[in-house]
Amino acid sequence: MDKGLLAYLLIPLFAAVIIPFAARCRRKLADIIAAVTLLAGLANLAWLVLRPSVINGGFADIPGDGLSLLLVATIYLIGLCVTFFSAWFMDEELPNRPAYYSLILVSVAAMTGVVTTSDFFTLYVFIEVLAVTTFALITTDESAGGIEGALKYFFLTFPASALIIAGLAVLLLTLGSLSFENLRIFMASDIPSGPVTFGAALMLLGFLIKSGVVPFHAWTPDAYQGAYAPVSAHLAGIVTKISGVYAIVKLATLLRFFDGRAQGLSGMLMFLGMLSIAVGALAALRQKDFKRMLAFSSISQVGYIVLAAGLGTPLAIMGAVFHLVNHATFKTVLFLNSASLERSAGTTDMDKLGGLEHSMPWTSWTSVVALLSTAGVPPLSGFWSKLLIILALWESGFKTYAVLALLFSIVTLAYFMVMQRKVFFGLKTRAAENSPEVSAPLLAPVVLLSAVIVALGLLFPYFYTYVRVVTERIIL
Amino acid sequence: MTYHTLLFLFTAIFAVWAVMARKLLTSAIMLALVSVCVALIFFDFGAPWAGVFELSVCAGLITVLFVGAVSLVRTVEEKSPENRTRFQALPPALAIFAIAAWFYLPPFLDELAGWARPGTGGGTIGLALWDMRRPDLLGQVLMLAAGVFVIKSVFPRRTENK
Repeated sequence: MDKGLLAYLLIPLFAAVIIPFAARCRRKLADIIAAVTLLAGLANLAWLVLRPSVINGGFADIPGDGLSLLLVATIYLIGLCVTFFSAWFMDEELPNRPAYYSLILVSVAAMTGVVTTSDFFTLYVFIEVLAVTTFALITTDESAGGIEGALKYFFLTFPASALIIAGLAVLLLTLGSLSFENLRIFMASDIPSGPVTFGAALMLLGFLIKSGVVPFHAWTPDAYQGAYAPVSAHLAGIVTKISGVYAIVKLATLLRFFDGRAQGLSGMLMFLGMLSIAVGALAALRQKDFKRMLAFSSISQVGYIVLAAGLGTPLAIMGAVFHLVNHATFKTVLFLNSASLERSAGTTDMDKLGGLEHSMPWTSWTSVVALLSTAGVPPLSGFWSKLLIILALWESGFKTYAVLALLFSIVTLAYFMVMQRKVFFGLKTRAAENSPEVSAPLLAPVVLLSAVIVALGLLFPYFYTYVRVVTERIIL
Repeated sequence: MTYHTLLFLFTAIFAVWAVMARKLLTSAIMLALVSVCVALIFFDFGAPWAGVFELSVCAGLITVLFVGAVSLVRTVEEKSPENRTRFQALPPALAIFAIAAWFYLPPFLDELAGWARPGTGGGTIGLALWDMRRPDLLGQVLMLAAGVFVIKSVFPRRTENK
């Protein structure tokens, strides 16, 4: 475990325990403690990475492999935005309000554990903690949709846990250890990898289910659509990316897909990634509910990361890591905007909405920034990550996959344009007549994340240097 | 061998009983007994720290949480008894699985054992917990905290809904 980052796990846990006691005196203290904890963590991370001396040195001084640090920062950023948004969105009298913030902080601690560990069993333990907290968070407002989503999440991701634990057993038996380093050394040797690859394949299957990749995506739309509105953003933005997608990227680097080891697994992963891109995008085109469309879009975007992880070359891994971070930012913006729509217009049914651009300009334009980035329009952050992935595919000779990835990026733009026209442009519908813009505190997190999307795109050379350092450290 | 077989048999019986039981309280107790048997298997296989965790967390703490939860939902359960006919399919399904496993599992495990490498585990409980698996201990603490907060999140709403 990366000991330098241990504080980022322990402090949220400590704050989570304090919240119920502090909230007894004053309920608002729960919001404040949660937000301040995450803001302080983020400020400290920014100090570690964004100092001029560190940037000038090409990020050579950053601790650990750099990937953990980047992902901890992303986790804290999304956690902070969701917490701040919830503080103004949540009903004051909700009886489980303090427990909600404790659960968010425990999930942040668990995600930090997932990205800082260097052992498969510890990874599994933290992923299970994440599953337990997510189950409770989805049902926060106890709506019928939330309970259905939570149950589907629980029952469909339970077999995933069983597969991961079976894979762990095979790996322990055949490798003698569960540390990442041992797997890396084993895969670099000439020993036939048969049963080790089999154990890794079982784990990969479990992580694919947890990521909601096609054909294991049955739980994703219901969980995202039914979840309590800010929790959808937390779930789609970061939780599923860390509990599934991160583990897939990590395994892809450890299994050394780039030098032809475990070629069957690599091919399977690329095929499922492409299938996910296609099915997610085509299904999103047909959706009438804003949140459900975002859920299918999420499935499609996760496909790009899985496709790149399956390819496994350094350029592809750079694209996968960058797209993972990008996906966290733009999907959180879109889901938080869907929560604002739900609050203001009372519905997320796109057939009932229309012409909201005039009454909700901030929500409309932050959505435009996020959707253009998702579709890969330059110079926003999503463009660069998709470019890296498509270039990596082309360079490695997978030209059909590269062309298809490009084509489905255009389909992504198409369904988002349809959404923007239906919801924000055009004539005002009856539901949109009395839908004022949400308050400034609810807009602050989406404006901040939109600024991050623009900044990551415009300052791409700096970010490219960072991601290159990360890739060199995790692959070589 | 007889001791192992008996433990496996008891584990299976208690597990089926936990699913088939009409009362939730019986299910919770049977689940605790499953954990006790599994802990004994762990001890016998030379994995004392896994046994200790199984005994303290699964048989101890989780049972306390289950019994607490059962006492809260008992009134609802008594008012609307559950239709249990679908559970009748479980024993035949288990029997089919057991017969299939009897033939296929031993040769599969034998083959896998050919690839086995010595584990890096061993030593005393203290050494294993504090030196080798310390992050897991942190994970367990996080899991306990998560369990408590889940209960604190779900129960106030239930009380209010009543």
